[in-house]
Amino acid sequence: MLSTKFTPKTKLTKAEIDRKWWEVGDYFRRNSLWLLMYCTGCCAIELPPSMTSAYDMERLGMGPMATPRQADILLVSGYLSLKTLRRLIYTYEQMSEPKYVVALGSCPINGGIYHDSHAVINQLDQYVPVDVYVAGCMPNPESVLNGFVDLMEGIKNKTMNGWKRYHEHYEWYKENQKNSLGEVIVHDEFHQ
Amino acid sequence: MTNSINNIEFVNELVAKTTKILKQEVIDNQQVAYEINTCDVHHLLSVLKTSGWKQLSYLSAVDWPEENKFEVVYILFNWEQPVYIQVRTKIDRENPVVDTITTVFPGAKYYEREAHEFFGIAFPGNPDYMKQLILEGWDDIPPLRKDFDPSAYSAKKFPSREYPQDYSVKDPENHTREKREARKVRGNALRTGGKKQ
Ligand code: SF4
Repeated sequence: MLSTKFTPKTKLTKAEIDRKWWEVGDYFRRNSLWLLMYCTGCCAIELPPSMTSAYDMERLGMGPMATPRQADILLVSGYLSLKTLRRLIYTYEQMSEPKYVVALGSCPINGGIYHDSHAVINQLDQYVPVDVYVAGCMPNPESVLNGFVDLMEGIKNKTMNGWKRYHEHYEWYKENQKNSLGEVIVHDEFHQ
Repeated sequence: MTNSINNIEFVNELVAKTTKILKQEVIDNQQVAYEINTCDVHHLLSVLKTSGWKQLSYLSAVDWPEENKFEVVYILFNWEQPVYIQVRTKIDRENPVVDTITTVFPGAKYYEREAHEFFGIAFPGNPDYMKQLILEGWDDIPPLRKDFDPSAYSAKKFPSREYPQDYSVKDPENHTREKREARKVRGNALRTGGKKQ
């Protein structure tokens, strides 16, 4: 209720005020989503048409971002080998919250055509929480953009809370990562 | 030097003069392959290097489990005469050891590490051949050996999604091919480029 001169001011609790601010934040956030494109697989080839004038992602307020700490969306475009997954987990943990993960293609869903490979994982949401899956091998730019619109809707409806799930089930995710990867830490002769 | 048939003859002569050829194969007019004894590899490679084949394009191996052999393949390229030369040699599969060729081609260092990682071949003389290069923390037999089963490994290591319902069509009678064809015909009929039919 709007308070006027004649009505007493409504007293909001701290939680309610927080929620309101959070909603304001969500409004701005979902209209300026920045993507960190971690182009892992062949689905990445669908990004140039969705970014450039044909489909123009910019009209949704989305744009590419160079560093994980400034990005909102981690875009996993395609299959993930074990080596890439290690770096992806590093990247995901570096991103500031709230953060969302969008996975393109059938490879992160169930392994796709690489379901029996020794080097490629089968299901991404065992290792990091995924908010939106876009199915297809490869998904065309319409479905990629549709995925992003779904993500915006979800942010509005407060259903995109993968990053909260990551906090809650941190142990479970870590255990899965350890079972498949052995070790998440990267030992790399060229950087040591 | 001008036409490729002469090039291949030139290579044939050169290799036959240098070493004993076990088997020879002309793949096309720009590729020849020679199978030689393992002990002759160094000699042949250095002769070829001094005669112009100074680029080592690739070094890898092929697994022949029936013969119980690994075949190590060296591919050389020459920038003046357009012929790729494959030098092949068979080594024992149980105890795969072949001397390093980093003394002839220093760049082979990384190819040897790769071959060690994927086939388990040892390259004494190369101080780094045991270090990991591509796979990180591999915990099974080398993955490109024919007796390695990638789908069993994948099933063991990577959880796969379970579906409550099986969507794949298993019934050969009930295939959707006709429907698909009909859709295609209809789609093509509609595709008139904006003109009325
Ligand atoms: S889903 Fe298909 S197009 Fe996408 S990464 Fe996998 S194989 Fe490539």
